[in-house]
Amino acid sequence: MLALFTWSDLFATPLAIVIWLSLVIGLLMVLLFAWTSDQKAIGVAKDQLKAHMLAVRLFQDQISVVMKAYGRIVRGTGRYIRLAFKPLLFVIIPITFLIVEVDRYLGWTPIETAQSFLVKVKTSNPDALNEVALKLPPELVASAPPVHVPAENEVVWRVTADKIGAFDVNVAASGQIYTKRVVVSPGISRLSLERLRAPLWQRYFSSAEPELQDGPVSSIAVTYPTRSLRFAWMDWNWIVLFFVLSMIAGFLFKEILGIEI
Amino acid sequence: MSRDGLKGSIGRVSRRLSVAALLAALLVIAFPVPSHAYAGPGAGFAVLSSFWTLFVAFLYSLYALFTWPFRHLWRSFRNRNAYGKAKFKRAVILGFDGMDPELAERFINEGKLPNMAKLREKGTFRRLRTTYPAISPVAWSTFMTGVNPGKHNIYDFLARDLSSYLPFLSSAEIKGPKRQLKIGKYVIPLGKPIIKGMRKGTPFWHWLAEAGIFCSVIRVPVTFPPEKFDGVLLSGMCVPDLKGSQGTFCFCTTRMSNDKYREGGVRVPMQRENGLLRSYIPGPEDPLDSTKELRVNFEVRPNGKTARIDVDGENFTLKVGEYSEWVPVKFKSALGMGAHGICRFYLKELAPEVGVYVTPVNIDPARPDLPISHPVTYSIYLSKLYGPYATLGLAEDTWALNEEVLDDDAFLAQCYQNHEDRERQLFDALEKTKKGLCACVFDTTDRVQHMFWRYLEEDHPAARGVPLAQKKEVIQDLYGRMDRLIGRVMEQVDDDTLLMVVSDHGFKSFARCVNLNAWLYENEYLALKEGKTESRDWFEDVDWSRTRAYTMGLNGLYLNLKGRERYGIVDPSEADALKQELSAKLNELVDPVSGKVGITGVFECDAVYRGPYVDNAPDLLVGYGGGYRASWDSVTGRVTPGVFEDNVKAWSGDHCIDPRLVPGVLFSNQKIAEEKPAIVDVAPTILQLFGLPLQKHFDGKAWKLAESA
Repeated sequence: MLALFTWSDLFATPLAIVIWLSLVIGLLMVLLFAWTSDQKAIGVAKDQLKAHMLAVRLFQDQISVVMKAYGRIVRGTGRYIRLAFKPLLFVIIPITFLIVEVDRYLGWTPIETAQSFLVKVKTSNPDALNEVALKLPPELVASAPPVHVPAENEVVWRVTADKIGAFDVNVAASGQIYTKRVVVSPGISRLSLERLRAPLWQRYFSSAEPELQDGPVSSIAVTYPTRSLRFAWMDWNWIVLFFVLSMIAGFLFKEILGIEI
Repeated sequence: MSRDGLKGSIGRVSRRLSVAALLAALLVIAFPVPSHAYAGPGAGFAVLSSFWTLFVAFLYSLYALFTWPFRHLWRSFRNRNAYGKAKFKRAVILGFDGMDPELAERFINEGKLPNMAKLREKGTFRRLRTTYPAISPVAWSTFMTGVNPGKHNIYDFLARDLSSYLPFLSSAEIKGPKRQLKIGKYVIPLGKPIIKGMRKGTPFWHWLAEAGIFCSVIRVPVTFPPEKFDGVLLSGMCVPDLKGSQGTFCFCTTRMSNDKYREGGVRVPMQRENGLLRSYIPGPEDPLDSTKELRVNFEVRPNGKTARIDVDGENFTLKVGEYSEWVPVKFKSALGMGAHGICRFYLKELAPEVGVYVTPVNIDPARPDLPISHPVTYSIYLSKLYGPYATLGLAEDTWALNEEVLDDDAFLAQCYQNHEDRERQLFDALEKTKKGLCACVFDTTDRVQHMFWRYLEEDHPAARGVPLAQKKEVIQDLYGRMDRLIGRVMEQVDDDTLLMVVSDHGFKSFARCVNLNAWLYENEYLALKEGKTESRDWFEDVDWSRTRAYTMGLNGLYLNLKGRERYGIVDPSEADALKQELSAKLNELVDPVSGKVGITGVFECDAVYRGPYVDNAPDLLVGYGGGYRASWDSVTGRVTPGVFEDNVKAWSGDHCIDPRLVPGVLFSNQKIAEEKPAIVDVAPTILQLFGLPLQKHFDGKAWKLAESA
């Protein structure tokens, strides 16, 4: 079918979420940009950039004028970026947190029933590899013996899910039990790719679970399949699509609202 | 909390937020995670816009850089070294419209114009003979083409329609698009308006450009519509406003009056509503329905000694006696059509009555609806570089001062705002034209002298009752300002540059008006309809079946010639005799009040002009004496009782008189041998100095430099 997307995509699908989110964020960012930036200075900086570009065209046979105009374009661009930097400071933090959070829902798809996936356990030293054992709930079944990768201090199990639900996988080592949540679902769920022991910032960007307790196991990861969105006859990572759509929305709203960007 | 206090608090909060955001951003940067590197559209805008600009500029300049040798080779081959025979690599011509040689000399001798004195001493200072008549569009057309008006077809601002005796602009004709779609009462234009330049002849910069010499031409009169050539040009005098007129201001006021302004302006009522005042700016006619006028509404909110004005999404606050910046306005029609303009607001009064003056709506140089430059992007370039600027040909609103809507100070402020824009444009052109021609005309000299001459004379009728000392220095200050401009240009001029300062005419007092139509009526050359003793504008009450001669415009006198004018009665075989009769009677016409000669010369156009367009010329040119000029009524074809009257308008100096009395100036940094140079000589002189052959049709002769004389 030659369509950008189907009508059902407009409601409660990952694509719909990305589109609506892009529109809302595009609008909010434009408003924030207008509020936090020096609109007059940005207007002047942009106009001067355009003037220097026109100078290149108007005086194209005078190489010294062209080169001077090019130098002014570089300086003008620097001035423009400096003016755009202040709004950028206001934007970068909330957007980063928003993307991290939305990524937990849209970055990967949950495991589906009968689909095999890997559970990877990393230990703090190679000696601990032999002590690690995997204890699965009844709904999950190991479909192959564990593979030890000493070079990476890692043990990998291939596992298959029988039922839909959220299950805890237990890893036993040195008498301690380490737990990791696995989600088996056909829809959109909040996923945590790994559970680990690491500083807060590092954990925040890749895990949605509490820190692992002290012991030989340093992380437990589940290989959820990455999600791609079909849009405009192409498969997209949601962040790339969000980038494109929010930019388009932003440029549309800035025209409507008469805001200099 | 006061407005300033609130602003300060917001500023402090904003600064703290900025610091917090900066710290947070640094934290994010300190712990980078590649998959989350994108930080939203804000960053995207900044990166994408600037990157795109840089990228395009880079590509283009790369293209320009790499193709330059080939283009240079091609041009060298084609032009066989354009500057090979040139005496100078650059010519800079500063046109000071109306600079008077007598005043210049007086101020130089008083030591007030050091830069002009330097030019006089080391180079040249001469009186520059002007054209017949000494009117700017005529003289500047001759300046650029090197021919007499009989070859360039400009004889006045106005020309007459032979079938209706009505005037039309002599320099350009603007018509609607060729194709239109009519739906009921609506007419949808299918195309752009047709603009036809009426000035004939070829400006000398076209010959230079053809030879490969780059030219920057700024605001030379009668360059609208701009013609194509290999250079840049910004059109000057004769560019219309958005209404298509030569400048129509509007005065929005709560004062009740049914009076109409004689020329150049409209009065618009301002309505009060709960402390708010509403009015509008009249614009061009609706392109879909010519019976309607497009408008832009605005609101005024008085607040003590200031008022906030909201117009077209913009708002600004003005004090009484203050101008706004240029404000963009869009006159919207249906189907997304409309016109883009810019105007300035001036808060004239706030209590008890409210009055807002709005300048004529200029064509927006950043979005020109009509071409005002060549290439079209040149006006856009200047607007982006320095901001909006006046594009109207007669940008200084002399009518508003004449009608006492603006006072002297407001008018001067407007003149010098425009002048500063022009100076910036000149210096940009100088920077961009290291080789070639750079010509720029300044109108300020003309407008200020027109309006402030009254303060130079003890008994000028327009200054009676005004303390003379009040504005006595205005014209002297003007000359000083122009002198400083010359000084700054001289700093950028090397020995390999020819600098010329020229004016198209000088100036004299305009204290007494001569209504030539009244004289023609009194002497039975012009007849009025039965029972009439006067005629309204444009000969409304003239009986053409009994009229032998009439006048309109500033200097032209026309015979009502059979076979030429629609209701002509003068047989061509009698024309010469009639012309001689009129000349004899008008020459040495004496003002009965002062006893002075009001007309010092009457010239037969057949003798003064030669060329293919002589038929469009008036039959006689009337040269008024110093202190005299055609009356305001006579210019518009009105017949009033009495031939002579005082001129009490602010427009108190003029040059539309006997051309022998108002030569222009010629300054140069080179010694020019010619003792009696004329404005018609400029074009051939420039061509010769650049080593180009002179055109056979030129009427002027090239000057020799003193060293080679």
